Amino acid sequence: MSNDIVKFEVDGKPVEGRQGQMIMEVTDAIGVYIPRFCYHEKLSIAANCRMCLVEVDNAPKPLVACATPIGEGMKVFTRSPKAAAAQKATMEFLLINHPLDCPICDQGGECELQDLAMGYGRDVSRYTEKKRIVKDKDLGPLISTDMTRCIHCTRCVRFGEEIAGIQELGTIGRAEDMKISTYIEKSIDHELSGNIIDLCPVGALNNKPYRYSARAWEMEQHPTVSPHDCVGSNLFAHVLRGTVKRIVPRNNEAINETWISDRDRYSYEGIYSSDRMQSPRVKEGGQWHEISWEDALEKLAQTLRESNGEKVGILASPSVTIEEAHLLARIADYLGTANIDHRLRRRDFSDQGEDAQFPWLGCDIADIENCDAVLIAGSNIRKEAPILAHRLRKAAVGGAKVGFANSEVYDYYFKVAEYLAGRGLVEQLSGIAVAAAQGKKLTSAVTDLCKGVKADKQQKRMAKMLKDATHGLVLLGNIAGRHKAFSAVRALAASIASTTGTRLGFLSEGANSAGAHLAGVLPHRRSGGKTRDEDGLHAGEMLDADLHAVLLFGLEPDLDLTATEDAVKKLAEQRFVVAFSPYTSDALDDAADLQLPIGTFAETAGTFVNCEGRWQSFAGVAKPVGQARPGWKVLRVLGNLLEIEGFEYLSAADVCDELQELLGEVTPDNAYRRKKALRKPNGEDAPASDVDIPIYEVDAIVRRATALQLTPEAQRLRSTDP
Amino acid sequence: MPEIQTFTMNFGPQHPAAHGVLRLVLEMDGEVIHSADPHVGLLHRATEKLAESKPYNQSIGYMDRLDYISMICNEHGYVLVIEKLLGITPPIRAQYIRVLFDEITRILNHLFWLGAHGLDIGAMTIFLYCFREREDLMDIYEAVSGTRMHATYYRPGGVYRDLPEAMPKYQASKWRSKKSVAKLNAIREGSLLDFIDAFTVKFPACVDQYENLLTDNRIWKQRTVNIGVVPPERALQLGFTGPMLRGSGVEWDLRKKQPYEVYDQLDFDIPVGTNGDCYDRYLVRVEEMRQSNKIVKQCVDWLRENPGPVMLEDRKIVAPTRVEMKDDMESLIHHFKLFTEGYCVPAGEAYAAIEHPKGEFGVYMISDGANKPYRVKIRAAGFAHLGAMSEMVTGHMLADVVAVIGTQDIVFGEIDR
Amino acid sequence: MATLNSLVKTFLLWELLQGLRVTLRNFFAEKVTIQYPEEKTPQSPRFRGLHALRRYPNGEERCIACKLCEAVCPALAITIESDTGPDGLRRTTRYDIDLFKCIYCGFCEEACPVDAIVETRIHEYHMETPGQNILTKDMLLAIGDKYEAMIAADKAADAAYL
Repeated sequence: MSNDIVKFEVDGKPVEGRQGQMIMEVTDAIGVYIPRFCYHEKLSIAANCRMCLVEVDNAPKPLVACATPIGEGMKVFTRSPKAAAAQKATMEFLLINHPLDCPICDQGGECELQDLAMGYGRDVSRYTEKKRIVKDKDLGPLISTDMTRCIHCTRCVRFGEEIAGIQELGTIGRAEDMKISTYIEKSIDHELSGNIIDLCPVGALNNKPYRYSARAWEMEQHPTVSPHDCVGSNLFAHVLRGTVKRIVPRNNEAINETWISDRDRYSYEGIYSSDRMQSPRVKEGGQWHEISWEDALEKLAQTLRESNGEKVGILASPSVTIEEAHLLARIADYLGTANIDHRLRRRDFSDQGEDAQFPWLGCDIADIENCDAVLIAGSNIRKEAPILAHRLRKAAVGGAKVGFANSEVYDYYFKVAEYLAGRGLVEQLSGIAVAAAQGKKLTSAVTDLCKGVKADKQQKRMAKMLKDATHGLVLLGNIAGRHKAFSAVRALAASIASTTGTRLGFLSEGANSAGAHLAGVLPHRRSGGKTRDEDGLHAGEMLDADLHAVLLFGLEPDLDLTATEDAVKKLAEQRFVVAFSPYTSDALDDAADLQLPIGTFAETAGTFVNCEGRWQSFAGVAKPVGQARPGWKVLRVLGNLLEIEGFEYLSAADVCDELQELLGEVTPDNAYRRKKALRKPNGEDAPASDVDIPIYEVDAIVRRATALQLTPEAQRLRSTDP
Repeated sequence: MPEIQTFTMNFGPQHPAAHGVLRLVLEMDGEVIHSADPHVGLLHRATEKLAESKPYNQSIGYMDRLDYISMICNEHGYVLVIEKLLGITPPIRAQYIRVLFDEITRILNHLFWLGAHGLDIGAMTIFLYCFREREDLMDIYEAVSGTRMHATYYRPGGVYRDLPEAMPKYQASKWRSKKSVAKLNAIREGSLLDFIDAFTVKFPACVDQYENLLTDNRIWKQRTVNIGVVPPERALQLGFTGPMLRGSGVEWDLRKKQPYEVYDQLDFDIPVGTNGDCYDRYLVRVEEMRQSNKIVKQCVDWLRENPGPVMLEDRKIVAPTRVEMKDDMESLIHHFKLFTEGYCVPAGEAYAAIEHPKGEFGVYMISDGANKPYRVKIRAAGFAHLGAMSEMVTGHMLADVVAVIGTQDIVFGEIDR
Repeated sequence: MATLNSLVKTFLLWELLQGLRVTLRNFFAEKVTIQYPEEKTPQSPRFRGLHALRRYPNGEERCIACKLCEAVCPALAITIESDTGPDGLRRTTRYDIDLFKCIYCGFCEEACPVDAIVETRIHEYHMETPGQNILTKDMLLAIGDKYEAMIAADKAADAAYL
C-alpha cells in the first residue's frame, strides 16, 4: 500500500488517510462510526450488506464506505439526510425477512442488528407480507444455527475462506432465495470454527453449549488467559452469579488478534464437570472419606515432616500457574529435595543440561507472519497451538515457504512447500542438516548423528528453502519434545538453524511450561536457571524410586504422565501420594492416598508465561466449585504448616512479584552450546504416532469439556481407538 | 442567683407527632425551647445514588417513594428533567393528564396534611373527614395506574396509559342490598372523568366542612395563630417554597412564575398569607385545595373534549404499543432494547422543578450520554423547611413544636431520600 | 358592630357549635366505611398485586425465558435461570420473585412480549416464615392457573389502552 497522504473531509472535518484506504478504515481510525454488517477489519471487503452507505459530494448516489477508496478533496457525509435515508432504507430491507425472535434469541442484547435498528432504522415496519423461512444447518456440537435470522453479510463465508482456509462454495441463490451453502458446514471441523459465532452480527450462528443459558447484560466480563496451549490467548470469561457461562476472545494483536481456538472457547464446560472434587478426601483402609481442609493439610504436613526430605517427589502439570510453580519449588527447597519436575510427557532427559532457560518460540508470535521460510519439525501445530498455525497460515498465504518434517502427514489449509513424512525425525533432520551444511563443517554435537547420512532431493530443497530465507525459523513442536531421541532431534535442529542462519524455536507443553522452567520446577535447575549441585529424579524416573511421599499437582497420572509407563500402578505402590487436583477419577483413587481439590484456571489468580516469554497475570473469575481452593493458597497454607519462613503471601501477586524480583531480567535464549557428539539413536527414532496428543485430550479440563468431546475431531479419534 | 441550666430532650424518632423518623434534640429551659436540632437521615435510601445505576425509566417508581404523600408529583419532577435533556415535549393530552393528576395529588397531600396536623394538635375528627375524601382520590389513582399510591404512571414522553372509560364498581354482598350498592355505584357508572367530575362538584362542600370545624375554632386558633412566625424576607432567605413561603405573604408559585405543562392555559389563583404563622399557612393550604379543585375541573372538561395520544410516538424513547410489538420486527427490536438498555440521553445537565404540594420539587440531572444518569440531585422542599425548625420554635413552648412540625408538612421520604 | 357581633358569638361558643353541627350531621349520615373482608372496595382491572405466570390455553407455559422482566426490574426482584426445555424451546429452569424486593411497578408485565408474567389483583396475601417471600416458578404458575379467568378478563378489559 502506498504511503501517499490523501486529504479529504468527513462530516466537514479535515481528515488524512493513505492512498488506497477505504473510507471506513479512515473513519474507524478517527472514531467516526459508520454502521456496518459485512465489513470486518480482519476479513476482506465484500460490500454486500449496503449498511454503510454514506453521501459523497459529486457522487450521484450514496456510496458504500467500506469499499470506496478515499480521494483527494473528497467530501464525505456520514449522517447527512441523504446518507441517513439510505441507511434507513437498507435497514428496512434487512428487517423484512428477519424473524421476530429477539426474545428467544441468544444474540438479543448484544446483536448488531438490534443496535443498528435502534440507531439507524425506522420506528415501525411497513412490511406486512410473509417472511421467508430457511432450514437450519447442523453445524455439530459447538455452533447452533437459526438460518432464518441470517442477513447474508457473508462474514462466516469469508472467515472460512480467508482465515480457516477451506475452499468451498459460499452462497447460493440470489435475493430472497440466497442461502449460505455447504461452505460453513465444512469449515466447522476447523479448530478455529467457533470464531464465526463472534463474527455473525445476528443470531444466526450461536454458541451451542451456551444456548439459552444467559443474557449478555447480566454477565460480568472478566479478562483471563487460555490455559491450554503455550500461546496464552487472551480471553474474556463471561460469568453469571459466579459461574462461567462462556468464553470469548479478548483482542490482543500481539498474540491472538481477535481469534481464539475452539479449545479455548469451549473448554470452560470442563470446569463444571461432575468429576469435580467437592472436598478433600483421604483413603483410610482402602476406603475414601471426605475430610476437612484443616485435617487434610495437617495430615499432609505431618507426613512431610516425618518423611526424609530428600525422599519426597513433586510432579506438577506444565499448566500450573507460575505462582504455584514457585511455591512448589520453595517447598521442595525447604524439604531439601530436588525430585521435582513438570516435564510429564518428555521421554528423553539425557541431554537436559542443554535445555534453554525456558522453551522459547525463537521470535515473537506476531513475528511468525514475517517469516519467509519455516521448518516445523515434530509438530502437529494446528492442533498443538491453533493460533500459531493461523499465524503460520498468514505467512504462507503471504508467500512464505512452510515445510514440515513429521512422521505422519497432517492436513493444512495452505500451500505446504515441502512435507517430509513416513520416516523418523532424526533421520529426516539429519538429512536436512547434511544438506544445509553443504560446504561447511557440521557442529560437533551432530557429527556422529550425520555420519554416513545422504540428503535426498526433498531434504535438499528444504535446506535450500531455509538457506534462501532472510527471516527463517526452525520450530520444534511437542511431538519432537516427546520424541524418544529428543536430544538428537534438538541437536540436529540447532545445527540446521545455525548453518542456514535461521532462528530456532520451541513449542512447549501446557500453558506455562516456560513459567515452570523459570520457577525451577526442574530436577536439575533452581529458579532462574541456576544449576543444582546434584540433579534430582526427573519425571521419567521418579516413580521407579522408593519415595516417602509424592506430590502430584494438577495432573492426572493415567493421562498426563506419559514420561513413565504404568504410572498409576507405580504410584499406588508408593508409600504416600497426595494429589492436588480439580478433578477426581478412578485412576487418582487408585494412585493417591490423599486428594485435595484445587481450582481450575477460572477459579484462581495466577500468571502464565507463554512461549514468547510474556508474563500474563489473571484474576480468579468464577466461584470455586465445592470446597476447591486456589492452588497457591493451598500451598501457602501448607508452607505455613511446615513453618517455612517468608510464606506470608497475601495475594498471588505477592508470589509473582517475589519470583520476578528473584529472576531479574530474563533474556530468552535458545542457543545450543553442546560440543560433545551425541550418539545415533538406536531404534528410538521409529515413526511413532503415540506421541501425538489429540487436540481435545491435552489436559484434564479439555478432556471433560462435553461439547468438545462431541466434535467430529474427538469422535474420529474415539472410533479409531483400539 | 442559682445558675439555670437548660436540659436536653429527645423528641422522636419514635414520637407519634414526629412525622415519621424525625429526631429533634431540644434544648429546653423549662417548657421553653432554647434551640431545636433536627437529626435527619434515618430514612435514607440512597435514591439519588440508586438512580445512577439504572436506566432512566427504572427510577420512576422510586420517585413515588420520596414524598410518599404526593407520589405522582415526584414522578413529574423526574420525568420533566429527562424530557428537558431529551428535548421532547409530550402530547398535549398527556400534559393535561399530568396537570390533572398533579392537582389531584395536591388535594391528596393537603388532605393528609390537614388531617394529620389537626390530629397532632388536638383536633381528632378532622382526620376522619379528610381521609373520607382521600379514598376517592386513591380510587382515581388506582383506576388509572393500578396502584393506590405508588403509581409509576408518568413516563418521559407522556403518561403510560390513557384514562379508563369505566370505573370499577362495588359488588353486592350480604352486608349491602342491591339498592344500596347501586347507590354507592352511582358515581361510578361513567368513565373516570365522570368520576373525577363528580368529585369536583362535591369537594367544595367538603372543604367547607373542614373549615367549619377548624377555621374559627378558638382552640385551633390558640394553637396556631402567632406560632412559628416567619417574616417574608426571612422565608426567602431560608429557601422556603410552596405554602410555607406563600403563608408569609410572598407570592411565588412555579405554576404561575415558570409555567410548565399547560398551567399557563388554566385559570386559578395563588393564595397568600399575611402574618406568616401556622394559621396563615393553614388558610393558604385550604384555599389551595379549592383552587386545585378548580384546575381539576378545567382539566376534566378539556380532556373530555380532546381525545388523542397520551404518549409520544418516538420509538427511540418510548416503547411501542403491545400490538405493534407482537407483529412487527422494528417494534420488537425497539421494545427489546428499551426494556433492557433503555434509551440514551444526550450529554448535558438540566434542572427541572415543579410546584409540588410542599413547595419546589426539583431534579437536577447530569447525563454523560449513557443510558443511565451520571448524577441525579433531588431538591426536596421539606429539607429547606426543616432547616428552619430551630428558628421557628425558639422561644415557643414544647407543645408548639408539634404545631410547627405539622405546619412544615415534612415527609421524611423526601428529606432523607 | 362587627366587634359586638364577634363578642356575642364568642360568648355563645358559636364557632364550636358550628363544628359540632358538622359532627352531628355526619353522625346520622350514611356510613362511608365498609364491612371488610365480607365487603370490598372496588378494584381496577389495572391493579398491580401478586404476580402470576400464565399458560396458553393448551397448557403450554407462555414464558420463554427472554429475561426482559429480569432486566427491567428496578428492584432486582426477579431471578431467572434458563436453558433448553424438554420441548427443545427456550425455557426457564428457575423463576423467582422476591416479594420483599418487589416494588410492584408493573414493568415486568410491560416488558413481557408473551404476556406470561402478570400482576394480578390479588393483594391479600401474607408470609409466616422467612423464605415465603420468594415466589418460585411453580408457585407463580399455580397462581396463574388458579386465577386465569380473572387475569384474562382484566387483561382484556385493559387491552385497548396499551
